[in-house]
Amino acid sequence: MSVASLARGAHGELDQLYIETRELRLQGFLLFLVSDCVLFSSFIFAYLYLRNSGQGWPPPGIQRLDVAFAAWNSVVLFGSGATMHYALENFKHGKWMAYMWFLLATIVLGAGFLGGQAYEYNHLIYAEHVTWWGSGIFGASFFTLTGMHGMHVFFGVCYLTVLVLQSSAGVYTRGKYFGITAGTLYWHFVDVIWVVLFSIFYLL
Amino acid sequence: MAVAAVHAGGIADHIHPEPQGFVRRYVFSLDHKIIGIQYIITAFVFFMLAGLLAEAIRTQLLNPGGGFVANGTYNEIYSIHGSTMVWLVTIPLLTGGFGNLVFPIMIGARDVAFPWLNMLSFWIFPVSGLMLFSSFLLGAPTAGWMEYPPVSLQGAAGTSMWCAAIFLVGVSSTMTGINFVVTILKMRAPGMTFTRMPLFVWGQFATAPLLMIATTALAAALAALFIERQFGVPFFDPAKGGSPVMWQHMFWFYSHPAVYIMILPAFGIISEVLPTFARKPIFGYKLIAFSSMSIALLGFMVWAHHMFTSGLAPFLQLPFMILTYVIGVPTGIKIFSWTATLFRGKIHYTTAMLFAIGFIALFTIGGITGIFLAAIPFDLHVHGTYFIVAHLHYVLVGGSLMGIFAGMYYWFPKMSGRLLNETLGKLHFWLFFIGFNLTFLPMHWLGMEGMPREVATYDPQFTFWNRFESFASYLMTFAILIFFFNAIWSIRNGKRAGANPWGARTLEWQIPSPPNYYNFKHVPTVYGLPYDFSTPLPYKGLDEELTDSPPVPAGAH
Amino acid sequence: MNAATIERLGAVIAGIVVAVVAFYALYKDWRAEGTENQVFKLMLLLLGLGAVLALLAGLNVVGFAPPKGA
Repeated sequence: MSVASLARGAHGELDQLYIETRELRLQGFLLFLVSDCVLFSSFIFAYLYLRNSGQGWPPPGIQRLDVAFAAWNSVVLFGSGATMHYALENFKHGKWMAYMWFLLATIVLGAGFLGGQAYEYNHLIYAEHVTWWGSGIFGASFFTLTGMHGMHVFFGVCYLTVLVLQSSAGVYTRGKYFGITAGTLYWHFVDVIWVVLFSIFYLL
Repeated sequence: MAVAAVHAGGIADHIHPEPQGFVRRYVFSLDHKIIGIQYIITAFVFFMLAGLLAEAIRTQLLNPGGGFVANGTYNEIYSIHGSTMVWLVTIPLLTGGFGNLVFPIMIGARDVAFPWLNMLSFWIFPVSGLMLFSSFLLGAPTAGWMEYPPVSLQGAAGTSMWCAAIFLVGVSSTMTGINFVVTILKMRAPGMTFTRMPLFVWGQFATAPLLMIATTALAAALAALFIERQFGVPFFDPAKGGSPVMWQHMFWFYSHPAVYIMILPAFGIISEVLPTFARKPIFGYKLIAFSSMSIALLGFMVWAHHMFTSGLAPFLQLPFMILTYVIGVPTGIKIFSWTATLFRGKIHYTTAMLFAIGFIALFTIGGITGIFLAAIPFDLHVHGTYFIVAHLHYVLVGGSLMGIFAGMYYWFPKMSGRLLNETLGKLHFWLFFIGFNLTFLPMHWLGMEGMPREVATYDPQFTFWNRFESFASYLMTFAILIFFFNAIWSIRNGKRAGANPWGARTLEWQIPSPPNYYNFKHVPTVYGLPYDFSTPLPYKGLDEELTDSPPVPAGAH
Repeated sequence: MNAATIERLGAVIAGIVVAVVAFYALYKDWRAEGTENQVFKLMLLLLGLGAVLALLAGLNVVGFAPPKGA
């Protein structure tokens, strides 16, 4: 039974079918996050493997990463996770304006994190001359992993923006808001990946 | 909540009208049965192409000095042969093909959980296949299907194309895996508990998480190889501090589970065919089901047994050797259960049954040589020789492909409504079985004597057996041509099958062949295992009319 | 006060806020049921731990002091 074809059913049936297919979509989405998690894990494995391949870390000629700025930037991203959580909570309780404000705050904080990362890349590339391709395994693992994460954040910001537009157009109702749940799950996932990346790149 | 709704027939009992028009019915179809057939046809086209490449390999090896193709071309040929057979033939046939075709019906569902995603998975697959073959235009990869760096880093531009193609087909597999897991978890008919699911469904249920998890790990490795080749970002190049051994870890972390992706659904097919044609309940239903799951789990813990010669630390070698032995236990359980199923059965020697019995024989040989190879001292001796080639072909041809043929002869009536010709089928089986053994059995001793694999020429002392194998491989190809002829001929001229030509008891045989668009007139309630021959069928309500009328389209009042 | 100190200060203060909020949300949700809420709880826990880590990094308890600005 296609979710798409069910959504085209008559109006009275829609909510019942939504409840039935919601569980399928939720599980599918969670499994997608699991496989995405494996993608990150593989690159994290590659990073740890290369890091321990015997040249010391950071490799000769490269300075340690700046923890202070990264800590601040991480808190920005983690804060966006908290605001997203409250956006969903408020939506569940029907507090429309609070939902919108928390959602917008999430977008701003997410974009702020991306800006911070752009600043950090800029600093690394132009001040310390560390590049993706020119700095050996350090550049390879750092820019690949953080860049992949940054892409996820970027897609997340785009998705949340779509959520704002959809919500204004009245797509989601109090009984039918899987899109917001999926957005929250995805955003939390992106945050949690950053917890790991922050720990292994800056603290380890 | 939703589970209850599904089990009460909530999702299942709405019937939507079949889409009209050729394109929506047969090209961009959302119907799992059509998608399954699309997978099967496409995969067999790739099977033919890869088979031609295999014959080019054998023709080259007729003479010690080669001479059929240039040595570099030979490297391209065996690389593409291996890649195609693994990613474009065996995995799509067993998961996307037979999986889509029958397992939703077997659990009493009307379709998979995400039909649209299913269609997308399928359409990515031929595109990635075309990309893989177009890599010949750019200079195909030359480092075998494993593409070990640093050779793959130095390979022609086609190697990057290879990465992209395999990445795409991996995305398709991942989506199929997600789809199948959700379908099996959430869309079973009322009463279809886990311990009442047919064993083919168990095979798919063990495979789908592997597709989802392992394939993503491969995607990471391919992405890393791609960006290293295209942008010079060092992951694997030892000259820049990278590690070629890391590729082997990342690759085999996928590719060992991939071996189980290619065999677990075939185990499922065999577990359907054997009880049907032995007219006996399957022996050890739960053992077969749970051993599939334990193979899937253990499959993630044995990858480094492919790397005993790569300088792996000795303290890591031993656990990988032991775990590889451990994985032989659930596999052995299956072999014994199947043998016990045959014991004192009333065996009908149909072609499907012949292939299933052939599977048990050949897979046992492949499995036992696998146990040899798990032993580090033996592995060090034969690593990279024709012994490996013999072993992997016994598992993948003698195992997976025999399973696929068993499935084709078994389910062809369900696909087309007509039986495959049994006489041609038996000819196909015997020529294939004999040709296969004559081709690959001598490779065991060639490998023991030290003939290296993936080399275009060989020492003249191996000439006799190589020529012998090449001629035997032509016999095998001839057998497969018989199969293709049989399939094409039978679609129009085969005997009409009727709903249940084999007297089988799983759900797909209780509905017409080919099935209607939404499979069941009324979703049945399941009361027991499908394997207890001589008891009444454990299904109720198959022939009832729908209780709630189909939804009225909006605006039709 | 140089830039690094301000960043550290920001990380500590905001880290406390985020950690408290995350753990409070976790506490409020503790009895929530359903698949997605179980996942949310795990995510909130990790989020709170992440905030604590960032806070400790700001205090220079974990991680290495960078050569500049120290």
